[in-house]
Amino acid sequence: MASDLLTIGAAGAKAARAALDVTAQNIANASTEGYIRRSAVLEEVAGRGVFPYGSDINLSGVRVGSIHRNADAFRQAEVRRTASDLARSNTDLSALQGIETALEDTAIFDSVVEFEAALQQLSNDPVDPALRAVALARADAMAGKFNIAAEGLDAGVDGLHFGAAADVGQINQLGAELARVNVSLARATNGSTDKAALLDRRDLLLGELSTHADSAAEFAADGTVTVRLGGAGGALFVDGNVAGTLTMDIAADDTLSFAVDGAAVSISGGNLGGAQAGVANTNSFRARLDTLADGIARTVNQAQAAGADLTGATGQPIFAGSGAAGLAVVMTDGGGIAAAAAGSPANSRDGTNLAALRQAVATLDPAGDMNLLLFDASALVTARTLSNEALGTIASSAQIVLQQQAGVDLDTEAANLIRFQQAFQASSRAMQVATDLFDTLIGIR
Amino acid sequence: MSVNLSTAAFYDKSNRYLTDLRGQAAKLQEQASTGNRLTTSSDDPVAAARLRSLSRGERLAEIDQGGSDAAMAEMSLVDSALGSAADIVIRVQDLAQQAANGITTDSQRIALGVEVADLQRSLLTIANGENGSGHALFGGQGVGDAYAEAGGVVTYQGSGASKAIDLGEGQTVTPSLTGPDVFAFEAGGTATDLFAVLGALSSSLQGDGTDPVAASRTALEGLSAGLDRVTTAQAVVGSRMNWVELMDERRTTNAELRAEETKDLGTADLATTISKLQEVMTVLEASQASFVRLANISLFDQLS
Repeated sequence: MASDLLTIGAAGAKAARAALDVTAQNIANASTEGYIRRSAVLEEVAGRGVFPYGSDINLSGVRVGSIHRNADAFRQAEVRRTASDLARSNTDLSALQGIETALEDTAIFDSVVEFEAALQQLSNDPVDPALRAVALARADAMAGKFNIAAEGLDAGVDGLHFGAAADVGQINQLGAELARVNVSLARATNGSTDKAALLDRRDLLLGELSTHADSAAEFAADGTVTVRLGGAGGALFVDGNVAGTLTMDIAADDTLSFAVDGAAVSISGGNLGGAQAGVANTNSFRARLDTLADGIARTVNQAQAAGADLTGATGQPIFAGSGAAGLAVVMTDGGGIAAAAAGSPANSRDGTNLAALRQAVATLDPAGDMNLLLFDASALVTARTLSNEALGTIASSAQIVLQQQAGVDLDTEAANLIRFQQAFQASSRAMQVATDLFDTLIGIR
Repeated sequence: MSVNLSTAAFYDKSNRYLTDLRGQAAKLQEQASTGNRLTTSSDDPVAAARLRSLSRGERLAEIDQGGSDAAMAEMSLVDSALGSAADIVIRVQDLAQQAANGITTDSQRIALGVEVADLQRSLLTIANGENGSGHALFGGQGVGDAYAEAGGVVTYQGSGASKAIDLGEGQTVTPSLTGPDVFAFEAGGTATDLFAVLGALSSSLQGDGTDPVAASRTALEGLSAGLDRVTTAQAVVGSRMNWVELMDERRTTNAELRAEETKDLGTADLATTISKLQEVMTVLEASQASFVRLANISLFDQLS
């Protein structure tokens, strides 16, 4: 078959039109999330010479071979991995900031100091009813601050549980959606625009999944994906058209555990990983706060029992309840503070037992412990903020590196517009030449 | 590697830089307007922990200062009470002197005896004086008055030791003295006190049958020992006042040091903060200007 100039020109014009379409599509989707720059891959169409005309010119123009998607699987995997780390760090950090706020803004430290100060003031005149009332009021305020801080920590844990439940719901939705995309991908033709759009959708879903939990994706030749939760060695979550179900269980001590289709899986990344770390941190700080509250209650009550109150009777407990949440002042009258040594008469100005009480409190050093607790919480926030900033930069860089390769650059597209427009015009010109040649042949007389 | 900066990446990047700069500027602005370097402890955990310790020290020092002020006030009361007691003793010495010479008539002695009895009551009032909190000045840690009179006999009913007041740093001061510390002494080998001496003198002068001249001489001996006791007590209180003043000075110095450290740790230096803010603002403005210029360059503008 010989060459046909008109066919070649028409094929060129068609290919240029297709390339212009792709360029326009790129421009239109320049800001679309998850859109990966397409390019039309052009292929030459040339017939093979048949004996005995092997040396004949056999050209048939050009055609659009496939729509290329400029995605780099490695960079995409990096973006997913770093986004997962960042999401975990974000959740972990915000939980820690919640802990810091709960401990610091309630001003427990100040209330402990005020209690100490009130006892010290009382020691200068142990029978003064005003000073006794002040000491008791300060004890009450301190117990209240402990309760508020414990409530703050509980609220933080509730928030983490709530967020984790929402994450689990979204992961299950994403899994089902990925399974549907897998079905479509298996049917779509390689190199088609349909396939490219499905792959965009697949990568977008995988990216979103990685912010919720650490996941590993394996891609088949047809673009379908197998997803595992909890890293490469984790539980199979999406396989072909089947998506598993992730479930969450909250233990009595507030810690979270996860299972895919009933089989336990350990998740260490994404929001869920951060929520687990947040709950663990909250538990550790709450335990220390409880120890501190219990220590104060026990020390003060023991000292009380060793002395005599304003009526000369044996001192009764000032505090009751256990833990920071339960700490409460049960004494109602300041006269009940056992300032005098046991066996003292009523209204005794003796302050021996009050001195012993203050000594016991000084030995326990609740203000020092509280200061250390606050220091540990704030130092942890500082350290995590630094690593969070680093992870943010890393994730952002990975995103930008991917964008540089896979994103749309409007200047490039503008240049392509001119280029393909010129190609279209040139191909039209070739068709014009073919007409002119035909006219020349017809015109022979 | 060829750089193909995608449009979305350009906007993302610019956005990140500008947000970052705005954040820095906002933080500096907050520091400048609050004057505090730290908003939360996590801004500088070590400094925040130190600041908490300092504020605790400050709070407890306030209580110490309160205790110190109360001790000073009580000691002033004790000091003036002791001064009045000394005046009374000196006046009684005067009267005893008059009664001790043989030429005084019985009726004159009776008049002297009545005055001594009055002075004894005055001394009792002074001894039962109260401090600012309503407690007996010389009653130790007992409840109620330090001395009680029953049938002309005055007895001490307070406790054996006075209450010490905490001055901080493990130091205490006892602002008062017990009644026996001030009024009891030994005269002629027997334990007695000023009330007994005055009582015996007064009743002898008013004619209880004992020899008034001999009684006056015995009384003079006792009064001299009693005056010693009262003035010694006054000296003790004076030296304790000095001690409290010394502790006050020390507390003031410590408070100044604490304030200095608090300022160094927690206060934003205005000059540094504002110049830093200016620097960040300059960079921010430059970034904004360059962003606008870069964003305006598009090949599409050149196509027509």
